Amino acid sequence: MKVDEIMTKKLETIEADASIYDAIERMIDKRIRSLLVKPRDEHDVYGVITVRDIVFKVLGKNLNLNTTKVGEITSKPLVCIDKGMDVEYAVNLMTKFNITRLFICDGKEIRGIISLLDVMSCELIKRAREGHGA
Amino acid sequence: MLKNVFGGSTEQKVIDDIRKHIYTLSSAADCFRKGLEEWDKDHMYCVSDLEREGDSIRREIISTIYEGAFLPFLRTNICRYVEIVDEAFDVLKDAAFEFNYLGPGLEEEIREDCIRIAGINKEMCEMLAIAFDTLFNKGDLREKTLAIRIYEKKVDDIKFELISKLRKKEVKDFWEGRILSDFIAYLTHISDVIEDASDYLHIMNLSMR
Repeated sequence: MKVDEIMTKKLETIEADASIYDAIERMIDKRIRSLLVKPRDEHDVYGVITVRDIVFKVLGKNLNLNTTKVGEITSKPLVCIDKGMDVEYAVNLMTKFNITRLFICDGKEIRGIISLLDVMSCELIKRAREGHGA
Repeated sequence: MLKNVFGGSTEQKVIDDIRKHIYTLSSAADCFRKGLEEWDKDHMYCVSDLEREGDSIRREIISTIYEGAFLPFLRTNICRYVEIVDEAFDVLKDAAFEFNYLGPGLEEEIREDCIRIAGINKEMCEMLAIAFDTLFNKGDLREKTLAIRIYEKKVDDIKFELISKLRKKEVKDFWEGRILSDFIAYLTHISDVIEDASDYLHIMNLSMR
């Protein structure tokens, strides 16, 4: 199965100079665990901020949620793979880089995201369908 | 498992008819998806045709059961299961009915989400058929019902997004808003009903141990 068959196309973005509080609010409202961070200018690149980053880098260090900016804890550059790659390849990449989500790209465009939960769901459905042509 | 215990001809007829019932539901779901993809209202008439066919299969199953197929303690659960699958037909037909009254098109984003849900509904029907077959072989029913729950969760996630998009949409006319709201409600309810049916398969499996 290819990654673009299981990816989530809906990408939530946030500005790099937004506060961590804004990011938390967005994640809770949308029930998601990561946000795509927009580049500051044309020389910058996209980044990602996750719940893990917020807990370890901000809450764990007792930093102020309103004054700390998203850009300060953003991970860059994104780990991207081509939309035509196999899910198996994506899993190997996740293992290699010890990451839980990968961005799916089509050239320079970011098309979607796959997380460990997407991979697990895909694998379970595949197993349930094994031996059935449907 | 069922086959070994209930190998009688009437039981076999019920089993074959239940299988046919699910495959008919799957065809109706596929037909609905195609109609939605092509935005073809004429194509949607196949949903009500298949629903009528499903109705007659259901009547046949219930009659055969009450003619004496299966042990009495099993009959209630089998009938209930068939009724739930029939409810899925009804909800699908209601969604197709509302579709006929939708305007010439939906915004691309909303339409895409609806097509995705219709595709998942179809895959859920296929998985329900696989799960039903598992009752008669050594497959793991738990694995199949988990797959159905995963599909249902996916529909729920899309529904959540869809509703937030709809709330931002300007409604110019009462009926336009009402029809769209009902269409989305029926479309997203099908997966709940299929999940209920898969839960009943689990109950049937337990009751036969």
